[in-house]
Amino acid sequence: MKINISRQHIYLLLVSFFLFLFVVIFSFAVLIPEGKEYRIKKADLNKELKELRKYQNFSDETYEVLKNLQSENRHIITAFDTIFDIKRFEKQHKSFFTSLSISKIEPVAPEEGFSVYEVNTSSQISSPSNFYEFLDAVNKSDWIIDINFPIDFKREGELIKSSFTMKVYYNSSDTNASASESSAK
Amino acid sequence: MIHSYIRPRKKSAITQETLLMFTFFGITLLMLLLTYVFLAYKDYSFVRDAQAISKERALLEKNLVKMKNEIVYIEKQKQFSQTIYTQNSVLKDSIANLFDLVPQRITLSQAKLLENGLVLYGITPNKDVYNFMLQAPLRSIFHRTYSSFYPAQNGWLRFVSTNYSDEEELDNED
Repeated sequence: MKINISRQHIYLLLVSFFLFLFVVIFSFAVLIPEGKEYRIKKADLNKELKELRKYQNFSDETYEVLKNLQSENRHIITAFDTIFDIKRFEKQHKSFFTSLSISKIEPVAPEEGFSVYEVNTSSQISSPSNFYEFLDAVNKSDWIIDINFPIDFKREGELIKSSFTMKVYYNSSDTNASASESSAK
Repeated sequence: MIHSYIRPRKKSAITQETLLMFTFFGITLLMLLLTYVFLAYKDYSFVRDAQAISKERALLEKNLVKMKNEIVYIEKQKQFSQTIYTQNSVLKDSIANLFDLVPQRITLSQAKLLENGLVLYGITPNKDVYNFMLQAPLRSIFHRTYSSFYPAQNGWLRFVSTNYSDEEELDNED
């Protein structure tokens, strides 16, 4: 039996065969590995995105906590940043005393990471209640002030002469720098 | 010279079937190539996005560390200032209690408040008034109390009362 196939058909068959071969090789050698890589990278990216969102949420929550803390403690934060000013202190607290004099500021050893300076104060009060009011006012003042021992009260006629030491606390320069960095952010 | 009565039809190398087949294969190849280009572009964009995510995450981490440090520092400031404010309030109460402790019949001329002690200078009509009305409450507050008297011009007695609390015992009480 003689199979009669024209030359043209043979060419067609050959072209079809090579194209089929190309498709198979291209698919297995290039497309399938690329597809696998695509799938893995997509999954990784989704995972990273999910983690990033978690991180962002956590960061937002932390920022919220920080802002609340800053607004709740605005007075304390500002007080730690404020440098002690004798004239301003005298002006603010003069009303509690008949006379008030403050000696020069002397830096002492830092405490709990805060810089400290000592201020010696001598004053005259008409009644102990003036001193109690002064102690209340000190807690609301522009600085963090600790009234320190020894405290001396001495009668002088109708008045009481009082002398005491105040410790003023403020941020040390290192912490000041870090605080300003974070607030600039 | 014409050898045939019919017109010769045009013959081309590509028949209709061949054209159809080439079109089919062309579309197939194009689809394969487009798929490859799509995958390659997506891979590239995934890498680019991953880099952007890791950069953003690093920035977030940096900011988070800063914020946490700031929170810790503010908490420290808050706690420390509360301690100071409490100390001042306790001091106010202590001074108020001290002045309340002194009876009407005894007059103080000087009071020295020390970290662990109290020195009082004053005048009393007699020793009994001092002992019952001032020394007794002072003894209940301080661990060691010393008193000395010397006569005043008006017949009363000037006194110096020195009172101390022992730090060791205070620590034990805490």
